[in-house]
This record gives sequence, structure tokens and C-alpha cells, in this order.
Amino acid sequence: MNKVEFKQLDETLYHEKLPNGLEVYILPKKGFSKTFATFTTKYGSIDNHFVPFGETEAIKVPDGIAHFLEHKMFEKEDGDVFQQFSQQGASANAFTSFTRTAYLFSATDKINENVKTLLDFVQNPYFTEETVNKEKGIIAQEITMYDDQPDWRLYFGAIENMYKNHPVKIDIAGTVESIEDITAEHLYTCYNTFYHPSNMMLFVVGAVDPESMLNLIKDNQAEKSFEEPADIVRVYPDEPMETAIKERSLEMSVQKPKVFVGIKPERLDLSGEEMMKHELSAQLAYELLFGRTSDFYHHAYENGWIDESYAFDYSLENGFGYALIGSDTAAPEKLIHEIQATLDRAIEKWPFGQADLDRVRRKKIGFFLRALNSPEYIANQFTRYAFNNMNLFDAVPTLESIEVPDLQEAFASVSHESQRTVFTIVPPEKAKQ
Amino acid sequence: MFETVNIAKGVKVHVHETTQFKTINFSLKFKDKLTKEKASARSILANVLQHSNEVYPSHTALRMVLDDLYGTSLYIDSSKRGNEHVVTLNVETVNDEYLSEEGVLEKVMNLMYIVLFKPLFEDGLFKESIFKREQEAIKHRIESVYDDKTRYAQQRLIELALPEHPASIQPNGTIEEVGKVTNEKLVEEYREMIENNEIEIYAVGDIKAEMIVEHFKEFFHFADREQAIKAPSTALTKPQQSRVVEFEDMKQGKLHMAFYSPVTFRDEKFPVMQLLNGVLGGYAHSKLFVNIREKESMAYYVSSSFASQFGLLFVLAGIDAKLEEKAVKLILEQLEEMKKGNISDTEIDQTKALLTNQLREALDNARGQIDIYDQYMELTADFEPDYLISRWKSITKEDIAEAANELSLEMTYFLSGKEDDSVE
Repeated sequence: MNKVEFKQLDETLYHEKLPNGLEVYILPKKGFSKTFATFTTKYGSIDNHFVPFGETEAIKVPDGIAHFLEHKMFEKEDGDVFQQFSQQGASANAFTSFTRTAYLFSATDKINENVKTLLDFVQNPYFTEETVNKEKGIIAQEITMYDDQPDWRLYFGAIENMYKNHPVKIDIAGTVESIEDITAEHLYTCYNTFYHPSNMMLFVVGAVDPESMLNLIKDNQAEKSFEEPADIVRVYPDEPMETAIKERSLEMSVQKPKVFVGIKPERLDLSGEEMMKHELSAQLAYELLFGRTSDFYHHAYENGWIDESYAFDYSLENGFGYALIGSDTAAPEKLIHEIQATLDRAIEKWPFGQADLDRVRRKKIGFFLRALNSPEYIANQFTRYAFNNMNLFDAVPTLESIEVPDLQEAFASVSHESQRTVFTIVPPEKAKQ
Repeated sequence: MFETVNIAKGVKVHVHETTQFKTINFSLKFKDKLTKEKASARSILANVLQHSNEVYPSHTALRMVLDDLYGTSLYIDSSKRGNEHVVTLNVETVNDEYLSEEGVLEKVMNLMYIVLFKPLFEDGLFKESIFKREQEAIKHRIESVYDDKTRYAQQRLIELALPEHPASIQPNGTIEEVGKVTNEKLVEEYREMIENNEIEIYAVGDIKAEMIVEHFKEFFHFADREQAIKAPSTALTKPQQSRVVEFEDMKQGKLHMAFYSPVTFRDEKFPVMQLLNGVLGGYAHSKLFVNIREKESMAYYVSSSFASQFGLLFVLAGIDAKLEEKAVKLILEQLEEMKKGNISDTEIDQTKALLTNQLREALDNARGQIDIYDQYMELTADFEPDYLISRWKSITKEDIAEAANELSLEMTYFLSGKEDDSVE
């Protein structure tokens, strides 16, 4: 078992890669009563074109299948796994993102039993045509629920605008029509390809003793047999640098228009330290340009172009990423223009120096330290970073190493006019009267 | 958990010394009577105070200081509980032991003082432009509920069922009342809040209780004030209609049901209602989830919640608009089962285990500690999880069935897609 101490943060992380390839991380938290565990596969909605395990030809699977599979993992021949978690006092859940599917629980009691349940249910698929078809009604209602949420439609609309070919533009849950095509056989194909332990990570954080927890996990895994791990071949289409659609709007039942300006990053091939430095640098640059202390924010708020819903974000993965800036607004044209102009001015002449960097850096360091109070944040984000060959606990030292030119360079790659898009949700005509 | 010291009549400081967190959390809660007028004015006030003050006259200036203090978060929110309206100043700052800098805590406490006691006045009024803008901001906040159809439907249900009751007063008031607030009125409301509101001050983190108490005593000089007598819950009146359907341009139907219970937070039987709610619809093992989602595949979400301050039990579900009748029937069938005592030992054990887990987990979070303590202090001076856990343990299915028999369905509200779509 490897042990890494992060002295400045007062945290110790334990790690071991098991013989079957599973990466196990354990982080004890002093003073906590609860334990939070995530069991995550590096498999999300974007992995829809791949070579199935043991085969040679790549296939395409229906949209929404990773999410569908996540739902179906909970049902077993002898019933629903939620029942067992509840019996053991654990709140269990799962989520599917563009790049990951995570199964998780939190509990203050019966931790060993719950960790075993988590490992066992994810490693024991049970799909039949009947149970698969039965799930379609539930997921159709989930999709419909999201369809009625303007903030989700806004976020997704902006991403759809940005990407021409990349599967990130496909809704994570698919559509009511696309899930109709999903069969039990599809689910097994995806499961066998992506749920091998060598493509997965277990993170346990909270009130645990690392040694005995690791032994329990090792024993559990040693009892099971797995195929020899194989490299997973995922196929992604070529994606041009410019955005697919420059501008689009959707009518929905809302009070005020909602706007997102999206910017597609240029560097989509990064991983590891380079990726962390780029992502943090771009986040700091955007914080300076669009954060609560920026001239932009001051101006837009004073003029009533943005309200409390205002948000901006920068996120990067391998193959896709996005910067988003937007708000509910009574003046969409003015807001869009001001965001564009702010980007243009910063391209023309970079306005920030050392003191600005120091300030937003301090803010970001504070954010990380605060986030380390949360077992959920640690487990989810550590996994997300690790799947991109980064280490969450390097974030503070990386932040400390960033210089002003790093911000300029990162910003330069996420700003150009051709990389921008605008998505707007507007109230129906009659509501405007 | 918390050490409590009275620093003035009606002003208490509660401190929890713990090394569990990397941050230090403060909450200052100003409690007043809940009315539409008060909620409206106090929501504007909360925004005005968090936006500017004499020392940092613009939003930007204040936010820059907070960034410099390692992204200290500071916000003032407007909420309600039972018959009370609460304005809370929430502050979270990094424990400077983890930083290369010292003295952060003192600076943060000083900033809290400035935010509360040094507002930006011009000729005895709040700066007019800021007042006007934040008045608008609160109107937008109230309006935006409409965009989230689940929240909107829930709000409509309560408004329709209990129009003149504290249950239907929104923490931010109403657009109409917000519009009526004048700058003069806001200054009055501010004085009232600082001088006459009951105040609970909370601090959690690696701090010395004595030092914190001394600081608030010395620098914040809160005067003595009357302590309000906890008002009993307002009685629930029968709604005028028992079923209301409204239409919006949307795809999913939102079913919201309100049941009345004679049991409230202050009642001996309150823990029974927590258990009842859990068995019915609080969790993934609950009757509603198992029967309506898993067995019938009719919904993605279907759940219940108990508003203990008023004795209101809500059931909500997102369903196909054509299936309203069927959904209501199935929901009532599940409740009927509970009334008959058809509740298994497993269901009870699972619910007790999850209620216990939820409570213990919430206490692993500084804000959770503050909220739970603040809520239960009325019932027990020194709240410990076992206060509830031991009560849950002794509850039987007969107790739950008895409480279920006291429930009455008072209103069904359905927010549906376009009328023409749902006729067939």
C-alpha cells in the first residue's frame, strides 16, 4: 500500500493497484462519522463508438446507453440493491456524466458491508429483455423532466452549438426515441467492455481505517475472476476548432430570456500536469474577466443586464471542453454584445498583472481548502482528475506555480471569435405582452 | 455540541470548537415575525447589506477584499421557519493554519461587523441606486420560480390551499410587496433587525469559544431586546377547492398533493411522522418509489416530504399528463396500506436506519450542525443525535398506522402540458 502525505493540507492518501487492475484509494478523515465511497468506471455518454471486448470491429450503440446501464445495474434477480443499502443504513446513488459512470453510497454504520455491497452489485450484471423494457418508461419520464428544465436546456443547447461531430453534443440520457432501441444484449456488450476492474476506480473517504479497509477490498476482489484486461479502443470523430452553430434560440415557458455564450477550447489533447495547469490558468483568466470583481460584472450588473442567476464556468476533458458565460436577462442583445466585447478587448490587450493574479489565486486556493471539508467533493473530483492523469492534491501547488503569462496563454486558446457561440432561451411571444 | 453564552438579553452566541473542518463557519440569524411585508422588505435589506457598505462602497470593492481573504464566502439570505422570518449572515473562511498568512480570522470578523453596522447611508437613507437595483433583483428572484416547474407547482399548491397562512408566505415575499417598500421603510426595517430582532450567533471550527464570545460582546455591542415567545403553529384551514388543474407549455405533468396532519414539530408524535414520511416516500425503499416508479414504471421521481412546522405532508410526482388519475389512485392506495398497518418490519428498519444515517451525516458538515442545532434548540437545550434516534427506535408500525389515519387529503394540484394535448 502506498501512502502519500500532503503536509500542507493535513491529509494522507493511501493507494494500491490490485492485481486485477482496480485502482483503490482511501482517505481517512479525522472527526467524521460518515464514510463516502464511489466506484467509478471511465465510461460515459461520449463512449458510444468502440470495439467491444474480445472483438475487432468498432460498433455504434444507441444514444443514452451508458446512463441506461447505470439504471439497470441496481436491479438484480433477487430484487433491488437500494433495498439492501437501506437495510444497511446507507444512502446509495449513481450518476452518469459525459466521461464517467459512478456508483456511490454514504453511511455512518456497517461500512464494511456497504463497501462489499457496492463492489458486488456493480460487478454482477443482470439484464433481461423484460427488465430492460420496463425501465424505458422510467427513463422516458427522466428525459421529459430534463426537457422541461430551461437551465438544463440552456446548458445543453450551448454545448450542442459548439460541437459538430463529437458525441458530447448528444444528451447524456439520450432521447425518448433512442432508448427504445436499447436491448439487454447492448447492455452486456457495454458492460463487458467498460466495467473491467482495470477501467475502474474505487475511492473510500471518511471514518475508515485504511489497512483493514484495503484488506477487505482485496479479499473481495480476490474471490472473483475476471478476464485478462484489454486496451479499450474508443473511436471519436474529427472535430473542427470552430463552433458548429454560431447562434440559436429556443422558445420555452420562462419569465425572462436566458443566455449562454459558449467558447470552445482549442487545446483538447491535454492530460496530466499540462492539463491541470492549463485548466486552472484558464479558470483564473476567466475569473478575472468575468468574475464578481471584474469590470464586466460591475458594468453588466449596474445596467441590469445580468441578475442573481449569472454564472460562468470553464471545464476541460480529453477531446472536449467549454467555457460558458450567461444569465437570465431582460437585455439579451446587450449582454451578448458586452461578453463578446470583453473577450475582444482582452485579446487585443491583456489587461491583468501580478496583483490581479495573486488575488484570484488566493480565492481559488481558499476554494480548494474549503472543498476538502466535503468527502463527496474529494471522491468525485479525485476520480475525475485521476481519469485525466492528474492528482487533485496537486491543485494547490500547481496554482502556486502559475504566472501571468500562463493566464494569457490559456486565455488565448479559449477566446477566438470562431470558437464562440450563442444560445438563447426566449419566452413565447404571447408571454411578452 | 455547542457552548452557549448570552451576550445580551435575546442575543446568544453558540460555539462549537472542533478540528474536523479546514474552515471556520459563522452564522448570524436575525429572527422576526413572518409576514408578507416583512419578508419582502427584509429580502431587499439582505441584498443591500451584502452589496455595499461605508468602508467598501461598491460590490466590486467588497468582493475584492473577500477574494484577498482566501475566497472567504459571505452572503446574507432570507428564509423562513414556521411563523418566523430569518435573515442570516453566513460566513466561511479558511482556517489560517493551512495558509502562509496569519490574522485572517480577525479580518473576517471585522468585516462581519462592517457589513452589519456600517451600511452605506446617504442622508440617512440607503444609497438610492443600490436600493432600487436590489429591489429589482428580489423581484426577479421571485419571478424566476416560474422557470422551475416543480418549485412553481409546489408554490401554487400551497398558495391555493392555504392562501392566508404562514405556510404560503414565500421567504422573499411577493412582487407586489417588494415594489411597495420604500427606502425609508427599509431603514426602519434595518434598525428593527439590528436593535430588536432576536439573534442567534453560531461559530464552528478550530477556534476558542472564549475568544469568539468576547469578540462579539466587545465589538458588536448588541443591546438587550425582548425575547419573542415561540408562537404555536397556525391552524390549517380547509382549502376552497380540493382539486386544481393548471396548464403550462411543458411536457411532463407535475402532480402535487397536500395532506394535513394534526402533528407538528412541537408534538410528541413528531418522530412518528418522520418515520411515516420515510416509509411512504422519503427513500428508494419507500412504498411510493417501489410501487409507482419500480412496479408501474410511471415516474422517475415520486416522493413525499413532511413540513413539520405546519403539519403538512406533501406527495409529488412527475408523470405523463394522461396518467394523473391513475397516479392519484396508486398513491392513495399506498397510504391506505399504511392506514391498515400493512408495513413490514423491513420497511420500518430501513427507514429508521436511513433517518439515523441522514442525521449523523448532516452533522459532518459545519452548516448542518448549525441548522440542526438551531432547529432543535427549542425542544432540547443540548441537542445530540440520540435525542431523535432513541425516539425513532421505540416507534412501532401501530404508531405509524395511527398517524396515517389522522392524515387527510386536502388538495390535489396538477400542472399539465397544453390543454389540447391532454384531452384524449
